[in-house]
Amino acid sequence: MDILKKTKEILAEILDIDEEEIAPETYLIRDMNAESIDLLELAVALNSAFNIKINDDEIFLRNLRPYLTEAKEKQADEVAYLLENFPFLTKDRMTQILDDLQGGPVLKVKDLAGYVAWREETS
Amino acid sequence: MRDPLLIMRSSGRFKDARYLNRGAGFAAASAMGAVKESGLDKETLTQAGLFVGTGPNLNISGEFARIRDGKMYETGLAALWILKFLPNTAASAIARLAGIHGENATIGTACSASLQAVGEAFRKIKTGYLDLAFAGGGDSRLSHGGILAYKKARALFMGDGDPEKAYAPFDKQRQGFVPGEGGAFFLLESLEHAQSRKAKIYGEVCGFGNSIDGYNMTAPDPDGKWGEKAIRAALKEAGLLPDQIDAISAHGTGTPLNDAMEASLIDRIYGEHKPWVIAMKSWIGHIASACGAVELAICLTCLKNNYLPAIRNLKEPCHEKINFVQTTTDACPGTMMMENFGFGGQNSALVIKKWIK
Repeated sequence: MDILKKTKEILAEILDIDEEEIAPETYLIRDMNAESIDLLELAVALNSAFNIKINDDEIFLRNLRPYLTEAKEKQADEVAYLLENFPFLTKDRMTQILDDLQGGPVLKVKDLAGYVAWREETS
Repeated sequence: MRDPLLIMRSSGRFKDARYLNRGAGFAAASAMGAVKESGLDKETLTQAGLFVGTGPNLNISGEFARIRDGKMYETGLAALWILKFLPNTAASAIARLAGIHGENATIGTACSASLQAVGEAFRKIKTGYLDLAFAGGGDSRLSHGGILAYKKARALFMGDGDPEKAYAPFDKQRQGFVPGEGGAFFLLESLEHAQSRKAKIYGEVCGFGNSIDGYNMTAPDPDGKWGEKAIRAALKEAGLLPDQIDAISAHGTGTPLNDAMEASLIDRIYGEHKPWVIAMKSWIGHIASACGAVELAICLTCLKNNYLPAIRNLKEPCHEKINFVQTTTDACPGTMMMENFGFGGQNSALVIKKWIK
């Protein structure tokens, strides 16, 4: 199954927007106004479509900012520390995310697809 | 960031529609129709009230989760499937879409609910708690669960033959109700308020009455004692005597029990005055909790156009002293009594008047 395509289909259905408006680089919250209840629906839908276990905190990067604070407190390498907690993201993507934090919630469509692919590989 | 509400309002898209059961969908659609028609601006809408009559979602085979041993095995359900079963989901959606933030209530008094919603809104306006209030309801029992439930309760028409001839309120041969679905909403405000903003006025609400039988879980009190109390209360609030009511929009479900009770009730209250009696359910079906709102919408149109539709399929009236409208007429009623009674002995009555400039 084409993970990205299926993820876009699910997002289009849940957020009631056209699939064509959704790209890998589209932000869930900044661009598509996803709310907390939409993320709840998204977790259930991804779980059902791909038959994988979804950890809400991981996939939606929920504790990104607290982990970053921890990394700073421990004077650890920030990217490496965060990758331990979000192992489905690449080093490049994590570096991008850290540069992008000022702009608001960083979660993008491609991150969801990356999570699904990682889950499928590791299960 | 784009304003999600603005997108919803301008595109006609509403992602939370997934949480509306079919009845709530009718409520939200008709309420938004009323909001649009009202022409009220965003700031004014924030102050408006909202009164919604709703019923249960009986589509139990379509969307109910099956739970065994405390676990749910269903897939394909929304994470927040609970919202399809909460009574105030319709109000929540309407408030979000329209930007309404005033006093509100969701009313669940079975088939009298939406007429009561209008009555409660009327009272809030009258007592000065609100300047503007939207009121109405939406409902559908057209699902396997809904049909089976009313079949068990022995309230549903179960006969054979031409479906067009099935629904016969107040006929001696009546055999129960035929379900319908839909919704209707109104904006209520004081006359002064409506005139000051040059609003289009559809009619006048003059009095409301409400009571509960405390008799049986489904059947009405056969004497209609408490139904009579609700009607007399509505008359009193309207400052009218029974012989000043020109027409009655009866609840007229076509069930043996309701129609017998209601016919003798009408005879007892109005006696020799004999106002016209119509029964809209014979045309539109029984819309359960939304019947009052939808019937009110039609009756306001009837008042405006000097038109009273015949009670469909009424051949042999069950009561000889009642002036049932058996042939559609261009009579011009000026005052009308709306009656709705519901399971649980719920009674609501509303007096409306034709609006003449």
